[in-house]
Amino acid sequence: MTTMTPDAPEEPTNRPAPMHRVREWMSRPYARSIMILTVVIGFILLPLCWLILAAMNQSGAPASPIMEDIQTTIFVFTLISIPITAFVFAVLVYSLLGWKHVSGDEVPADASPAIRGNFVANILWSVITSLLAMFLVVWGLMELAQITANSYGTVSADEQPGGSSALIVNVTGQQWVWTFEYPQHDGLTSDILYLPKDRAVYFNVTSKDVLHNFWAVELGVKIDANPGAITQTGVTPNKAGTFNVRCAELCGLHHAYMQTEIRVLEKDAFDSWVRENGGQRTS
Amino acid sequence: MTTTTTAPPNATVFGAEVPQPPQHGKPGGIMRHLNFGTGLLAGIVGAVAAGWITAALTPTSASNATFAPTEPEYVYLAVLIGWVVGFMLGMGAFVGPVRWLLGRDITHADAEYMAGKDLGFRRYFKFTTDHKVVGIQYLVVTLVIFALGGTLAMLIRTELGVTWAELFAPTFYNTIIGTHGIAMVIAMIVVISGPVGNFIVPMMIGARDMAFPRLNALSLWLLVAAVVCLISSMFVGGIQDGWSVYYPLAAQAPPGMLGYQMTIIVFAISTGVASVNLMTTILTMRAKGMTWSRTPILVFGVFAASLMGLYAFPFYQYSQILALTDRIWDTVFFNPVQGGSVWLYENLFWLLGHPEVYVILIPSMALALEIMPVFLRRPLFSFNFAVAGIIGVVALSGLVWAHHMYMTGWAPAVNYPFMLSTEMISIPVGFLVLVAIGTFWRSTVWTRLPLMAIYAVVFNKMIGGVTGIYLSDVPADQYFHGSMFVVAHFHYMLMGAGLFGAMGGIAFYFPKMTGRILDERWGSIGLWTAFVGFQITFGSMFVAGLQGQPRRVLQFDDMFNISNWLSTIGAYVIGLGMLIFLAAIIFSWRSGDVASSNPWGSKSLEWQTATPVPLENFEVLPVVTERPYNYGVPDPYEQRMKSLDGDLGPDTRLESDDKAGVP
Repeated sequence: MTTMTPDAPEEPTNRPAPMHRVREWMSRPYARSIMILTVVIGFILLPLCWLILAAMNQSGAPASPIMEDIQTTIFVFTLISIPITAFVFAVLVYSLLGWKHVSGDEVPADASPAIRGNFVANILWSVITSLLAMFLVVWGLMELAQITANSYGTVSADEQPGGSSALIVNVTGQQWVWTFEYPQHDGLTSDILYLPKDRAVYFNVTSKDVLHNFWAVELGVKIDANPGAITQTGVTPNKAGTFNVRCAELCGLHHAYMQTEIRVLEKDAFDSWVRENGGQRTS
Repeated sequence: MTTTTTAPPNATVFGAEVPQPPQHGKPGGIMRHLNFGTGLLAGIVGAVAAGWITAALTPTSASNATFAPTEPEYVYLAVLIGWVVGFMLGMGAFVGPVRWLLGRDITHADAEYMAGKDLGFRRYFKFTTDHKVVGIQYLVVTLVIFALGGTLAMLIRTELGVTWAELFAPTFYNTIIGTHGIAMVIAMIVVISGPVGNFIVPMMIGARDMAFPRLNALSLWLLVAAVVCLISSMFVGGIQDGWSVYYPLAAQAPPGMLGYQMTIIVFAISTGVASVNLMTTILTMRAKGMTWSRTPILVFGVFAASLMGLYAFPFYQYSQILALTDRIWDTVFFNPVQGGSVWLYENLFWLLGHPEVYVILIPSMALALEIMPVFLRRPLFSFNFAVAGIIGVVALSGLVWAHHMYMTGWAPAVNYPFMLSTEMISIPVGFLVLVAIGTFWRSTVWTRLPLMAIYAVVFNKMIGGVTGIYLSDVPADQYFHGSMFVVAHFHYMLMGAGLFGAMGGIAFYFPKMTGRILDERWGSIGLWTAFVGFQITFGSMFVAGLQGQPRRVLQFDDMFNISNWLSTIGAYVIGLGMLIFLAAIIFSWRSGDVASSNPWGSKSLEWQTATPVPLENFEVLPVVTERPYNYGVPDPYEQRMKSLDGDLGPDTRLESDDKAGVP
């Protein structure tokens, strides 16, 4: 009966048109409930996009284009992650509250439909998650290129565009203090990082003993201080104010106390700070 | 010279006469007198002897390149080596090879003795080769390590919660941070592959034991030896440099660092041995008819973890051997002052470090997928996607390590490809999530503890996964690297997904392992208390990280106070929940409800054996004829009979099609 010979006519199929099937699926009560739940949970999660930034801004709003880029990235990533997270949570919630459940010691009957895979669901999920991942990768690569262009990248100080107008700061970590040297200003040194506003600053970061990590929090600058090597990065502060430097790499006993301040000053104030501390005036 | 060689009578093994090798002297030999007590004794004697000889030979005035006195270092290293060698000798780990070298192979009676036949409770304290005994031993050892790591975690949170004072000296604080880290990493690596991998997997694939039973016992007792090294380090200065012990900070550390290095060297051997054993067992000893598509998903997970462990742990071991020689013999691999490279160390370490998180996560995810069909009474949604997900993670796991080094300045240009490979991992992990929610889809839920734990796992896994996307992205990582955000993220992955999955696994396999049901009520109370505490602790730790609190600090600005207070309160709630869960385990093990041999009505092979499982598991080896998780799938034999009936009677199929017809 079920064997098919080439001559036999094809069995008639009552498979409805695709749009009809989609509509039929959408009209199922659980499908509708899960979609509504997804939207509700999505909107509950949505404020996270701003709450995350609010938490990040608690010590001070972004003070450089780099930090602004970082915050945009984090905002976008949160936004992109919410739909999938909301959908998974919606299924979890609905499976607990919507579909049937049994308890007790008795092994229940095998009442759930024995679904072994669903071509449409598999393809949809793979394509959507892959597209999202690709978007994140492309976004990340572009932002990284942007940030690298905004900071030092791998180019040495002399070869930087506009190198003469940039301020160079040699950052040295040692257990458990930061020292900032201004080679363009007669090697003026300070344990507080003074920076001019709206002027490119390049950091040559190194360490005298163990690994440290130079983290200028509100400027979005972070790079390891390695003994025996100089790592390079840079930033252009665009906001005057007082910000934080913390060490973000365990460096021994007083790692927790290895922090200092950044003071971003207007150009004139910075120049006078340099003069008062014995450096020669430049530019 | 007269020989005492006697030919023992043939042994009967599963009904077959097997000739036995010739023996010298009394049957059995020394291994019948060795146990954990003699192991401890020999270990202590070995440690004291090695330490004393080294102390006598080392001039007290000797110092190393950094002017630290070398005598305590040499003595401590000798003590550790003496302990490990003595302990393994005293346990009887070398009896088999030595007898083999002497031409006295082990008889069937000896093999049965080593498998713990008729030894009762004593078999848990011997070099026992039975995989079920090793599984239980692994479970107990893991729980002990968790107790240690958990206690240290409570101390860490106490210090961070008491924001108005420095409760501990920085040396002690750094020690508990490092020791907590490495203890928990070790425990999480073995928590599923150890107890479940050893106890359940051979039964699951229909084998009588592991492929190499003596290596199985070796891997367990090496782990015990390693853990003692780790604990001993706390008495000689501790591990003050975090679990990653970056150079050159590690060079400044007190002798406790040697304890870390020996722990890792021994632990890597243990893991390597266990991995080879599990992989060989899975590859060669699956029951007749168990093709890859009929192999349960947990077996894939354990295999994947072993495979990753096999290539990852050697890097770790090399890094610690090189660090050890740097320390003891003034070689210069890592110390930049003399021309070494800190980046070399970081690369070697993270070549372990990232596959290692998947060594922890993949068995946990596979265990979740193993539990779900049983309690949802249906097949796994897309078995092939689950396997593809596991394969994808394994394939990518070795290509992502340098995302831990985005901010080191080591090679800024490689940040691009590593960002690409790291974010790609979200695709195969997404497959596993799809299979999980697909299996929940339209299911009748049997709300028992093992399944409820899986809800916790999927929830935590989503949060850990999404925050992982931030960290894999270089610009975002430029803010998060080295902050509390990272700590919260990997706790969501390793603890939230890994440990809660393991708790579900323990509840699931408890009836088979102990013959009793894990108390549902108290087990659930423990699990959900820990879950709530977990969200509070690490939720507020995310906030602390966002605010900009670096990790591994013992004091911080006032702006971080509130999130740290909350985090500490949550940590105590976790501690309470874990204690309740532990109490549920202990009391159920002693006096819980007696379980039938298959209380969950599972179709897997491991549940078809009797409880308690007899030695050698199966009287007759099973033959597998269908795919796993065929719950609610009509029996093909019955289907065939029905279709034959249909041929004989009127054709009902077309009629019913007509009725269901859609215009």
